[in-house]
Amino acid sequence: MTTATILSRKGVGTIALLALAALLPLAVTEPSQQNFLILILMGAQMGVAWNIVGGYAGQVSLGHAVFYGIGAYTSTMLLLTLGLTPWIGALAGGLVAAAFALAMGWPCFRLKGHYFAMATIAVAEIMQILVTNSDALEGAVGLYLPMDQSGWGVLIFLSKLPYYYVILGLLVLTVLVSWAIERSHIGYYFRAIKDEPEAARALGVSLTRYKLIALTVSAFLTAMGGSFYAQKEMFIDPGSVFATTISIKIALIAILGGVGRLTGPVLGAVILITIEEYSRTLFGSTGSGTDMIIYAAMIILVAVFSPSGVLGLLGDLHRHLGRHLPGAKPAGGETSAKEIRP
Amino acid sequence: MTADILIQVLVSGLLIGLIYALVAVGLTLIFGVMDIVNFAHGEFLMLGMYASFWAFAIFAIDPIVALPLTALLLFAVGVIVYQTVIRRILKAPMLSQIFATFGLMILLRGLAQFFWKPDHRLIPHSLVSGNIALGSVQFGLPQFVAALGAVGVTGALWMFLHRTRLGTALEATAIDREAATLMGIDGQKMFALAWGIGAACAGLAGGLIATFFPIFPEVGSNFILIAFVVVVLGGFGSVTGAFLAGIIVGLIEVLGGFLIGPEYKTAIVLSLLLIVLLVRPRGLLGKA
Amino acid sequence: MRFAAAITEPTRTPDARAEIKSPTRRRTLKHMLAAAALLTTTALTGIGFGAAPAHAEDEIRIGVIYPLTGAAASTGVELKAAAELAAAIVNKEIPAPPGLVAGIGLPNLKGAKIKLIFGDHQGNPQVGATEAERLITSEKVVALTGAYFSNVTATASQVAERYGVPFLNGESSSASLTQRKFKWFFRTTPHDDLFVGNFFTFLGDMEKKTGDKLRNIALFNENTLWGNETTKLQVKLSEEQKFTIAEKILYPAKTTQMTSEVQRIKASAPAVIMQSSYLGDAILSMKTYKELGFLPKMLLANDAGFNDSEFLKTMGKDGEFVISREVWALDQAERNPLIKQVNDLMQKRSGVNFNGNSARAFTGIAVLADALDRAGSTKPDAIREALQKTDIPASGLIMPWKGVKFDASGQNELGTGIIVQVQGGQYVTVWPFDVATKPVVYPMPAWDGR
Repeated sequence: MTTATILSRKGVGTIALLALAALLPLAVTEPSQQNFLILILMGAQMGVAWNIVGGYAGQVSLGHAVFYGIGAYTSTMLLLTLGLTPWIGALAGGLVAAAFALAMGWPCFRLKGHYFAMATIAVAEIMQILVTNSDALEGAVGLYLPMDQSGWGVLIFLSKLPYYYVILGLLVLTVLVSWAIERSHIGYYFRAIKDEPEAARALGVSLTRYKLIALTVSAFLTAMGGSFYAQKEMFIDPGSVFATTISIKIALIAILGGVGRLTGPVLGAVILITIEEYSRTLFGSTGSGTDMIIYAAMIILVAVFSPSGVLGLLGDLHRHLGRHLPGAKPAGGETSAKEIRP
Repeated sequence: MTADILIQVLVSGLLIGLIYALVAVGLTLIFGVMDIVNFAHGEFLMLGMYASFWAFAIFAIDPIVALPLTALLLFAVGVIVYQTVIRRILKAPMLSQIFATFGLMILLRGLAQFFWKPDHRLIPHSLVSGNIALGSVQFGLPQFVAALGAVGVTGALWMFLHRTRLGTALEATAIDREAATLMGIDGQKMFALAWGIGAACAGLAGGLIATFFPIFPEVGSNFILIAFVVVVLGGFGSVTGAFLAGIIVGLIEVLGGFLIGPEYKTAIVLSLLLIVLLVRPRGLLGKA
Repeated sequence: MRFAAAITEPTRTPDARAEIKSPTRRRTLKHMLAAAALLTTTALTGIGFGAAPAHAEDEIRIGVIYPLTGAAASTGVELKAAAELAAAIVNKEIPAPPGLVAGIGLPNLKGAKIKLIFGDHQGNPQVGATEAERLITSEKVVALTGAYFSNVTATASQVAERYGVPFLNGESSSASLTQRKFKWFFRTTPHDDLFVGNFFTFLGDMEKKTGDKLRNIALFNENTLWGNETTKLQVKLSEEQKFTIAEKILYPAKTTQMTSEVQRIKASAPAVIMQSSYLGDAILSMKTYKELGFLPKMLLANDAGFNDSEFLKTMGKDGEFVISREVWALDQAERNPLIKQVNDLMQKRSGVNFNGNSARAFTGIAVLADALDRAGSTKPDAIREALQKTDIPASGLIMPWKGVKFDASGQNELGTGIIVQVQGGQYVTVWPFDVATKPVVYPMPAWDGR
């Protein structure tokens, strides 16, 4: 089998999947179901963006909410004060987040493993506190987006459908960027940094430089996701966009699906958001904590039985079957599924 | 500002700092022995608080008297958690381990709400209550006893790690597992022990603060961030480091909050953490 | 750590690096598998969501959104119980005391029953909006109520506004909620403008009564939407009425210690503290006041944690003499017998007394049921119109209000506040003086003098 046919086959699969995603709202017409799909796409977009730095480059950030929040606040402030369309606002938010990533990455990348993860939490928490106490940003009161406007210019809609396509588009963009990185020499360096940092350094790869690239790109895309959040929920406050729980959720989505794989976070989002929404809608109204118990039990089960994510589990399954198929390659662990350790 | 007020603020900071230290030593011990960050540590604290509460509510045992019981109970919880969940993810990537302990955190909160309702509770009258006044400096007896207990427990833990055979074996496992195994130390047992002791420390902290802190299923979330900060500041895995860092964090938090503004107290502590990490990327006493 | 490296080794294979460069068949298949899994899950969830539960025709569904998990879960569960009591009365499962609004059930809807569908917002504005949307579109509720937290009420009511479904808020007091020019938003409780105004009127009255100066105040509010708006109002009124702000603190909620806060307040030596805290922080701050041996002449609490049923249960005598703004007190039964009668029903059903929060949750459902009946229809427009025409007399309520009547912004203009003080383990009304059942204990007795 040649590479070309594989690619085309993969291409066909991708196009089929995309077409299906684009047509899905035709079958799913109820707004709350569409909202559910949007939440999945939002989660997937965040996860794929996180994966660039957390997965490929192996720098576990637990502070991505800082970029998310910067994106949400930048586009919203521009819309409220200058009347600037969120199309530009989201890009501006991305740029601010990218600049912030550069500034924060420079010192933080001196740290390794858990120390780096903790430093990112600290940065995000500090930012949340600063925004909470900033009068210019309305502090803890939060910002409302205008309810009396709608349309593609202000990116506010009465129905769910346009939001669905906007976030689908943003997800496709994020996946494309991620894919391009994965296939380029940059992606190669990322994995080298992650798996063999010493060897990479010896070969003259500037570790900090490539880590910074990863963080900056990831921050830019995450911020755009934050802008989308603001447009969709039409209300932001520090607690809802800068919270560490968001940072952890972003990472969980990627981990659940499979870290360092292109489609991992998408699958992770499908599963995590489904568990989250279903456990809450089915059991949350009892007030007895049952939804938390079910949600947590599922998470633990996945972590215990599928440590390299659901994609890893599927891989194992396939490997198990593949042993009996003629022409199948011998099993090999994917490097990108490997862990990150100091 | 008068000297009196400054001394008062420092004393308050020291007292809460010692509590932070006690919560954090358990966390750092678990990390030191097996490289796992336990997100559910705050929930061990919560369980310790509930253990004291129920001992008081059902058997009328004072939280201070119930401390050994609380420690024992939480030791068992720690070992059970290790045997049922952690043992299975030893070989998993760091991210999956975070995932598992995060799930554990939510699970324990959910179970607490399920069995004990989301109510806030408090132990109304304990053996230790009231205030101590030294000149113009005042502090609560419960807080004082809790701080004293924190010093005692951390001291005992230090002695155990450095002066007993079992403790030395635990330390050896932390430093080099393979070598420890060659010396005939059972790694699995050591891991279980680390979880037991780690959880017991958090449980003791819970028992000690149950006399003055409200008890509810989510109480762990108040403490977990600070506990992480203390562990990182002290250096992952260093019990002595966590102890020192706990005191520093307590002092800086209360003093910074008093001088600069309480709304920034956590930001001040986190900034301190970042600055220390920039100078010492492995915390104050972290191992290379 | 070497041990770490050791356990990772076995999973590493020689051809691992080769895989990075050339996509292999194995990976392709893997992607296809993933895609298949994704599709299956999506399809399944679609089916799951699509199967909207069938329900009887004569059942009127009302969506109720409260924090049922998370830090405020204990309050949420209490509100839920109150709402359920109101529904049981409307549905005539429990005989209603005469005169109670909605006690007649829904005769204009042929005696239909209301069914409350609860949603859990977890204290998260996004979850609140998601739940609102689900309740409206999937559960087909005809109206929404909730959500206790002002910022969640903000997002959830936005969703209701977009769908054109009435949202009746019973217990969020942030003033800005009714300044949004919403068509579908109604609020029965008075808001913070009134409550904060009451504080200052009360202080003025107390000055006249005692001859003491109470002009030196410390503001101690939690740093959230609610605490921020309260602070702004307090600052504004202080300036207008010539009060001095000795200290102004916005503290981070859910904290591990409050000594820095209390030290600052103590150092500023105010006559009065005005405090806004939810339950956990309310308890912790009282403990800290005591620890540091500090008490102002008066502690004026902004409801919430200080009026939670569990506050007194947990604080015991340390909670005595706190003064709080309220909208409900059991001793007001002297003037309105319904208060005691309905409270007895609550006691019987849930084993707890009403408090300001749960009484407002009860009233929210009752007002909504009243509007539903007058609308005689479950069409949103009809319900909205009926809500606008709401005119419930004081005698139909369990609140010490003048009644319920909404202004153009959807705010109940007949709501009033009272001020209560903890005396002998009870919240007793101490202001306005004409409805007070006990005089104010002033100043607060010292910790050791109790």
